[in-house]
Amino acid sequence: MQKKGSLSKLKKQENRMGYIFAFPWMFGLIVFGAFPIIASLYISFTSYDMISAPRFIGIENYKILLFNDNIFYQSLGNTIYHVALAVPLGMFVGVVLALFLNSKIRGMSVYRTLFYLPNVVSIVAMSLLWLWLFNPNFGIINQVLKPVYDLFGIKPLRWYADASTSKMTLILMGLWTAGGSMVIYLAQMQDIPVTLYESAEIDGANWFQKIIYITLPLMTPSMFFNFIMGIIGSFQVFTLAYIMTSGGPSRSTYYFAYYLYDLMMADQNMGMASAMAWILLVIVLVFTMIALKLNKYVVYLGEEN
Amino acid sequence: MKKLLMLLMLLPAILMVAACENQDTKDKVVIDFWHMSPVGSPTFSKMRAIVNEFNNSQDKYFVKGTGFSFWDYWDKISLAISARTAPDLGLSTIDDVYGRAKGGVLYNISEMIAADTSENNIDLDEFRESQKQFARYEGDLYALPFTSTARVLYYNLDILAEKGFTEADVPTTWSELKTFAKHFDVVEGGDIQRLGFDPTYGNATYHGWLWQTGEDFFDEDLNPTLNTETHEFVLQWIKDFNSEFSRAQLQTFGESNNMLGIDPFAAERVAMIVNDDGLNQKIVDAGGTFNYGVAPIPIPDEDGIRVNWGSGFSIELYDNGKNDLARKEASFEFLKYLMSEETQIKLAEANGWIMSHISAMEKYTADKPLLAKILVEVDYAMDKVYVPYAPSWHGNDWQPFYTEALEGKKTVKQALADARAHYIQKKQNWEATN
Repeated sequence: MQKKGSLSKLKKQENRMGYIFAFPWMFGLIVFGAFPIIASLYISFTSYDMISAPRFIGIENYKILLFNDNIFYQSLGNTIYHVALAVPLGMFVGVVLALFLNSKIRGMSVYRTLFYLPNVVSIVAMSLLWLWLFNPNFGIINQVLKPVYDLFGIKPLRWYADASTSKMTLILMGLWTAGGSMVIYLAQMQDIPVTLYESAEIDGANWFQKIIYITLPLMTPSMFFNFIMGIIGSFQVFTLAYIMTSGGPSRSTYYFAYYLYDLMMADQNMGMASAMAWILLVIVLVFTMIALKLNKYVVYLGEEN
Repeated sequence: MKKLLMLLMLLPAILMVAACENQDTKDKVVIDFWHMSPVGSPTFSKMRAIVNEFNNSQDKYFVKGTGFSFWDYWDKISLAISARTAPDLGLSTIDDVYGRAKGGVLYNISEMIAADTSENNIDLDEFRESQKQFARYEGDLYALPFTSTARVLYYNLDILAEKGFTEADVPTTWSELKTFAKHFDVVEGGDIQRLGFDPTYGNATYHGWLWQTGEDFFDEDLNPTLNTETHEFVLQWIKDFNSEFSRAQLQTFGESNNMLGIDPFAAERVAMIVNDDGLNQKIVDAGGTFNYGVAPIPIPDEDGIRVNWGSGFSIELYDNGKNDLARKEASFEFLKYLMSEETQIKLAEANGWIMSHISAMEKYTADKPLLAKILVEVDYAMDKVYVPYAPSWHGNDWQPFYTEALEGKKTVKQALADARAHYIQKKQNWEATN
């Protein structure tokens, strides 16, 4: 009996110590995380110009955004376009890079570092760099593609300066940071038992079959993780458009987050900006829930599952 | 042990530094002043000298000046005002003082001036009514005009001389401007090397050209006009000015200036440009050696009005809700110092701005003929109206439609119609929530 009592006391002490050690992080989460989130929910139901006190107006902000705001739907359309192309392309490039870099050739660690480097470059510096590269008149990309343009007799692409190609330009730019997901795929690949490949070789499988039947299925957990993270990140696309195109031309790169920013800073309409933030949260949640439901059909979770 | 010894050795030094700082502000009321001359900028040391002169001239108040770069300043001051952590004095734009005054974040300067019986009180007659009217809310001043900008036509005398023209030939009407500008276009191998003039370059704006016709962007009830023949005429004139060049040629030329971060007039790539007094300072700072002059912006041939877009900074005393009368008093004393004739001249010398004090600027520009000409245009300057449902009506809201019209993606009529529909929708939405 005495033993049980002292064990229970020890457990309580352990729990208390756990909470004490976790307290700084929890405090940060509540003050810098939960509080602003709850405050923004309240502000989304108010008219707030960031000078006078917020005034409660019910669901007016949501009604306006959903039923009487053309720019809201234009920005949402631009963002969904971006997500629909950027996420699959980003995953494809990440997987291909990982497959290439998962081989034992000399200097492989250098290549892995080089491919990951763009992820540590400031996004502003990156945007300015690509602004030069994609410049329709002076950019090196058009200079390199000049023979192709001449061959097909077409005018050089205007990339970010044309409404029909501006979004695709920003998506292509984003692929430069595929090294981030590549690292995660590589880590997953290291976990794949070598014996599986050996068995496949004995059964006469070629390199392509090994990738299709062994590598990719066993990588689906990390692919699914990057898919979810890609959805969440892509819906918040802002910096590229802000630096490179200012939302143009013709609002073709005026994304959801950009309109949210303008509502807050240019129109001083914090209430409506907060409502947009919560609408975005719901949209991302819906997409994530759908993905999670499809999880069991597309992700290989091991033999027991 | 070594680390402990090092800390013990450093401790006296740290305490001494702390003591020094305390000595400057000991027994004084300390206030904050935000400006746009950060550490490392060409104007930093001069602004610091101006602030230090005030601090050294008396022992009751101490002003801590903090400078931010022009592009960072606006977000910082907006957020600080919202968070009620604004400095005691700061600069802002005079055209939207109304919103801040209505929101109760500014001190009533009229009351402070009325209550002040000292000899160095602010003389309001030294500031233009056209600017003071923007700083009023319910009849009282809640800010003071700090700078006075005006836009003028800059012309490169050396380029004019190439074709045998002089200052006397500078155009005064829109049709003269178009004809005159064509003499200076230079095209080589299909690429524009130099343009005579473009109505979208420099600091020229659509509403600046529009005002010269007597039309405004909004009516008295702040409804967008935009569906009038005058709007179509102005926008078509801007679009057609360099219509002999293709859009690709004009974009190439424009982008080459933007990408290299060069002002096309300072780089002698345009013969004439509309810009404010800041361009003169830029050319001086860059050591420009070409000869140039300024003139009033050409006006429409029929019933044209001599007017230019003259925005300006305001200086404001922020009420953070702390009811600190000592800081309020200190801020007002510093404001009186900044708005005095002598200091306004020093501020003009430091920043290259045309300040708002009338007599100060007359003295400052007496031996500077170019600035004197710009100063004359300040009397013809007009600021844009504050539209609560679209505070950035001339920027974020207007630019997409303007660009579509200029690039030919929409007709002028369609672009104006779409823009008008956009503003009307914004007004409806704002009225539904305010």
